[in-house]
Amino acid sequence: MKIRSLGYLFKEGVKNIWSNRTMSIASVGVLVSCLLLTGAAVVFSYNINSAMKTIEGNNSVRIYMTQDLPTLSAIKVGEEIKKLDNIKTCEFVPKDEAIQQYMKILGDKNGTMLQGMTGKDNPLPDAFKVSFKDLSKYKDTAAQIKKIPGVATINDYSDVAAKLTRLDKVVTMAGFWIILLLSLVSLFIISNTIRVTMFSRRVEISIMKSVGATNGFIRVPFIVEGIIIGMLSGALSSFLLFLIYDKMVGSITSITLFSPVDISPMAGKILLAFMLAGTLFGAVGGVISISKYLKKEGGEIVGW
Amino acid sequence: MIEFQNVSKIYSNGTRALKDVSLKVDKGEFVFIVGSSGAGKSTFLKLIMCEERPNSGEIIVNGRELSTLKKREVPFIRRTMGIVFQDFRLIDTMTVFENVAFAMHIVGASNKEIRKRVPYILGLVNLQNKAKCHPAELSGGEQQRVGLARALVNNPKLIIADEPTGNIDPALSFEIVDLLNEINRRGTTILMVTHEHTLVKHFHKRVVEIHDGTIVADTASQKEEERHED
Repeated sequence: MKIRSLGYLFKEGVKNIWSNRTMSIASVGVLVSCLLLTGAAVVFSYNINSAMKTIEGNNSVRIYMTQDLPTLSAIKVGEEIKKLDNIKTCEFVPKDEAIQQYMKILGDKNGTMLQGMTGKDNPLPDAFKVSFKDLSKYKDTAAQIKKIPGVATINDYSDVAAKLTRLDKVVTMAGFWIILLLSLVSLFIISNTIRVTMFSRRVEISIMKSVGATNGFIRVPFIVEGIIIGMLSGALSSFLLFLIYDKMVGSITSITLFSPVDISPMAGKILLAFMLAGTLFGAVGGVISISKYLKKEGGEIVGW
Repeated sequence: MIEFQNVSKIYSNGTRALKDVSLKVDKGEFVFIVGSSGAGKSTFLKLIMCEERPNSGEIIVNGRELSTLKKREVPFIRRTMGIVFQDFRLIDTMTVFENVAFAMHIVGASNKEIRKRVPYILGLVNLQNKAKCHPAELSGGEQQRVGLARALVNNPKLIIADEPTGNIDPALSFEIVDLLNEINRRGTTILMVTHEHTLVKHFHKRVVEIHDGTIVADTASQKEEERHED
């Protein structure tokens, strides 16, 4: 194909968008809604992930020392725990502090109720407040901790750990499938929308074929059209996503404690991804819709 | 120019559109193809344009055996023919000039060539003053002349006209065939499918009649026979 033909075809593609503007607007509308839904799914799963990270981070486990272990030995055990791979934080909770906390919880301001239990008579053991880097490895880490001499018990968290890990996996998987499904739906709708414009342009195509246009030549304006519509939709939908997300973040933070992720640092990436996705969908949609018309050797020149 | 040797075409639904058809059209001939609808005229044209392939037999167009033609070569063989449609098939959103130029853009002509060639062709069909009009502003006869100009603009060796007068005023039909006749005199082979017997009678050209998938009458062979009888 000659370069001057490409220039002509590009112009034709742009012109087609304008002359079929109703359909072009419809295509942009459809693509924007699909991209928005996909974007919403991504942002949602991103938020769930970040929320889970927060929950995981807050999840501290208490490790109790044996009853009569001297405080000094307990601190040594703490050093041992810190050496393990999966430990994020390890905070020593002396038994005196623990009993104070109990008193507070029981509302025993003067300490009369538990008075006999302070100092040497304290029945509580020393403990460590530990948080893990990766909660899914809880079981292994717990087993390692239990082996350290001086450790009596770990309060069992394996259940919660397993549940959180499972939820994480479900969210990731669901996000993946939602995005895949929406992509397919978008592609289907786009190729159908372009096919409608194609239907109204059958005359043009049959003339092109009759004068001896190659299939490649016929395809180019449709692909150009798809790409332009896709890029436009990409830009528009990322703009809308930011706008809507911003509004939603505002209202969510005002009614709940949950703080959504700030997506503004990713603005560039989202815009780029949307534009790329739009371009790809537009181009592929264009190719799919026209291939049906080009399949036949001649492509319905005489009788259509 | 065109040669059919024992050509048969059976569609996948079982319709036998052409049965063992043999026909030869020489360069520079003007041939009317007549016959009732469903006789196989459209199939005949489709085979020439490589829109359909025959089940058996050989078709030679412009010295090219069509059965050996590769798919990607089809557009290039089509550039040697110009097609005139019954329903004109002009693009409403384009002016007369653009409609004709469109055919040149498709074969990769430069803007310079287009600016030179299109007015010349429009002059040939007597539409030089309507270049800036849109098809809707023209009469049926004028629209078909635009269609003719578009078929001519790439200088084809063969013009295929599929009932070109079917959608226009009978009085104006003669005008169109006159034009085709003029083009024929300049050396282009013309193949015209028609229903109108008045036209066929008036223009004394070779007439090929197709009925039920076979050629039932051909004035060229009749003349030959007459010559033999003399």
